[in-house]
Formats: sequence, C-alpha cells, structure tokens
Amino acid sequence: MSKAQTVLVVAESASGIAELTGGAAVLGEVTTLIYAGEKNCAVNAETAYYLGDLRDESFLKYIPAIISLVQERMPLLILVEATRNGRLVAAAIAAAVGVSVLTDIMELKAEGDQILGRRMVYGGAAIKTEKSARAVTVACVGVGVFEAGKEQAAGTVIALEPGAPGIRLVEKRAKEGKKVNLSAAKFVVGVGRGFGNEDNLALARDLAESIGGEVGCSRPVAEEAKWMPKEAYIGVSGVMIKPELYIACGISGQVQHMTGVNASKTIVAINKDKGAPIFEKCDYGIVGDLKTILPALTKKFKDRR
Amino acid sequence: MKTLVCYKLVPEEEEIEVKRDWTLDLTKAQWKIGQYDLNAVEAGMKVKEESGGKGDIVVLTVGGEMVDNSKLKKAILSRGPAQMYGIRDEALTTADSYTTASVLKAGIEKIGDVDLVLCGEGSGDIYAQQVGAVLGALLGWPTVNAVSKITPGYGKITVERSLEDGVEVLEVDLPAVACVTTDINIPRIPTMKDILGAGKKPFTIWSLAEVGAEVVSGSETISTLAPDQTARLKIIIEGGSEESIDVLYNHMRKLV
Repeated sequence: MSKAQTVLVVAESASGIAELTGGAAVLGEVTTLIYAGEKNCAVNAETAYYLGDLRDESFLKYIPAIISLVQERMPLLILVEATRNGRLVAAAIAAAVGVSVLTDIMELKAEGDQILGRRMVYGGAAIKTEKSARAVTVACVGVGVFEAGKEQAAGTVIALEPGAPGIRLVEKRAKEGKKVNLSAAKFVVGVGRGFGNEDNLALARDLAESIGGEVGCSRPVAEEAKWMPKEAYIGVSGVMIKPELYIACGISGQVQHMTGVNASKTIVAINKDKGAPIFEKCDYGIVGDLKTILPALTKKFKDRR
Repeated sequence: MKTLVCYKLVPEEEEIEVKRDWTLDLTKAQWKIGQYDLNAVEAGMKVKEESGGKGDIVVLTVGGEMVDNSKLKKAILSRGPAQMYGIRDEALTTADSYTTASVLKAGIEKIGDVDLVLCGEGSGDIYAQQVGAVLGALLGWPTVNAVSKITPGYGKITVERSLEDGVEVLEVDLPAVACVTTDINIPRIPTMKDILGAGKKPFTIWSLAEVGAEVVSGSETISTLAPDQTARLKIIIEGGSEESIDVLYNHMRKLV
C-alpha cells in the first residue's frame, strides 16, 4: 500500500487531536494539523496551525484561511473531527476540491492505492462502503475510530488569522450543567416514551445511580417530549454507545435506536408491551410495568452495596 | 424575504428489507419526507411569521420519480410553503452529497432572488449532514449549521448555533444558508384544510437539463449491505411479579 504523503488533520478537542493525528500516522507520512483549544495541545504533527482557544471567536471565521491552506498544500487525505464546526469546515473543503465528504466513518482504511470508508446509512439498516471520486479524500471522523499515538509535541506552531465575510460573532455562552459522557459509560439506563411522564424519570436515575451508570434516552424523549437534553439521545443520529450493560426501559426498539446500542455487551429490556420489537433484540427481557420493576431492581442493587 | 427550504424524499427505514445476499430491497418501502427536513420547513414558516407574515416560502427537492408523486407533493405543501419545485432524474435517486448540493444550487439559481436557504440537519436516509453546508460553499454564501434559533432582521438573520460546549450567537448577512437542528421546533401537523389547500398550490418539475445541471459525483459507493447484528440471548421473563424481577436481577447482578 502506498501511503498518502501529507495528511491534514483538523480538530478542536484534545482527544480529537490525539486520535486523528494517530490515524494520520497510520495512513500517511507527514501530518499537518489545524487545531483550536489549548495552545499546547498540538501533538504529532510537523506543522500546526492554531485557531486560538475560540472563547471569543467563532470557528467559522477561520474557514477561509483553512481553505487557502488546503489549496496551497494540496494534501491527498484530510481528516476532520466530527464536531458541528468540523462538519461545516469539511463541507467547505469538499466543495473547494469537488468531492463528497466520507462522514461519520466507523472505519477508514487504505486498500491498494485507494482509501475506503465505512459508515451506517438508512438509520442503521445498512453499512455503506465508499470512496472519494477523486485523488483527494476528505473524511469526518468521530470519537474512538482511531487510536491516539504516543504524544510528541508538534514542530512549528503558526497562528491563523480569522476573517469570513458576512458572519459576525455576537456572543458565546458556555453550556450549563454537567457533561454526560454516554459513549464512555460502562452501564447505561435508557429512557423511552414508556415512562409516561417526566416525573417518572427519577426511577431511571435511581437505577443508574445504584449501579454507577448514566442515563440516556430515545429520540422522542429528547426531541418531542423534551424530558432530557439532546445530548442524552442514543441512536444513529445521536450518541452511539458501547457499555457493558444497557438497560432499555419503556423503549420499543426502533432501528434508529437499536443501532445506537448494538455494540452493548448485554442488553436488558423492560417493557409492558409483549410485542415490542426490543424483545427480539435483547439478551434479557421482562414484560411488565417499569414503575414496579425499576424501584425493585434499584433496591436490590443498593442493598447489595 | 424569500426563503427556500430544501428537502429530501427517503424510504421508510423500518420497511427496508434485507435480501439473502445482504443487499437491501427498497421496493416495498413507503417513501416519506426526510424527518429532519420537517424542522427546516417549520423553521421557514416561523421566519415568515416573525417577519410579520411577509415573504415567500418555497421548497425544493431533487430526486428520482418520487419527486413528482402527488401525495408527497401535497405532504410538503400542506406544511405551509407557497410553492414546490423539484428537479427530477433517475440518476439523482442515489446522488451523493456533492451531486445533490450542485443540483440544488442550479435550482436555486434558476428560481432566483432567494435570500435564505434552510436545510435540515441531515437527510433521513444517508444522514451525512453535508448537503446544506456544501450548498452554501458552492453558492459562496455565508453558511451556518447546528442552528437552534433564527431571528430575522433587515438584510441579515441572527442565529444561535448549538455546539458541543455551548451556544454561539452569530449575525449572518443575507443571502445565506442555514442548517437547523432537530430541536429548533416541533413541526406542525397539517390539518385537513391544509391538506386540501395543498392540492391547489403550484408546483414545477424540472429536468437536469432544464436547470443546466449535470451529475458529477464526489464519491463512489462500493457496497451498501445490511450489517451483522450482534447475536442476543432473547431470554424473556413474563410478568412483573416479585419472582420474575428476582430472575431478572439474578441475570443482571453478574454483569454489574
């Protein structure tokens, strides 16, 4: 296999920088990094271009500068962290070079002289294998696809200048509340519409607490009922989880959701509807009322401690 | 202000069947408007309401023969837009994000005088979350994604972007492209009156040649196959009695 000579990595989180430069080292010879965040986060790159900490500026203001760099350096492989800003800059790069971005890839590998990406489509009903139609490949990469390499401080660090016509930053507000890290949780309790009302969510939180887990939910719970924030929603278009144990409560088992939990080691389903599709996709299922079952389980796990 | 909302027709994923060779059979699936696009249409209607009811809302889609399906045309128009445009070609059924964006761009230029283009977060089938952003770049207009609030202004819009670590408020000059999040609003459910009224609204279907576009793909699909499903034990316990909860707990306690 012939390696891409220069790989350009665009990332805005420390873990993104570490993982994507790790992937770049496997797929290419020389890594150039474009990054934001803490200045000393630049690792494993010959040259690093710094966008600043972005506390008082929008990532979007740097897109023209990033495009100029791409046009000047002409890298054959560009890896972009799959954040919301990342998706936008990946699209701008793709439009500039005339390719489609391989987004949310689960795997990116070189086969012969081509780079193939695999991703989920149709709400998880299928996996699509695709490649760029031209010599340049642009891929948007999420957490956990590549392994971080051994960290070595970057060579030269050069500051990039912001400047995008037609867009002005008015203000930035940091997110309130604690960050839930569902994708790293060992145990996850999933909340579905079957909870009936928001007050019953305490039952799920209690169970999660008794086993040291986190609480996530199905799409309707976050987006229609708005009982939980969007970040808590598990599914193809939300968070993909891979816990030791996933306990789906009052969740029917739609393809979208089940694909998001498919990597769970064990799935337990609690649902009063015997015909719910989730019972076809779980390891252990119980047909009954979650309002009785959850407190009973919580008590048993608490008593054990 | 003229707002154009892009949408995509997609197969109902619950009705996609897997063939013996792990390829997909879409022939039995019903088609629908991509669920994330409904938020974009609703956002367009809200922009109009907040502009004192002034301005036009039109919708544009590109795709295969479904573009001309009268039920689906009514479905989109019943949600409020004044007019529907479609660009139809069989080659667009499997178009990738670059092709889709290029053809949408040609359509938008043909329609003319568009001030604001709204897109959903991603398509309901492929969900690459790219088309709106690529479209904005190809048009050369200011482009924002992850938009969870839009306030129309004079020659500009003010948007809130929901990012991983907080919210960013931006002023964006028009014309612009904005891709909205799925939690920006709850799309309205059309009433019977809306549905009947939709049948009287104008629609225009163009061929690729009529908008002066061609299919130039930015990616090649090697295969689209059903994934391996993790084998599950499927041990189902009936009833929520104390004994059955005990049985479940005994399975679970070994795992925690």
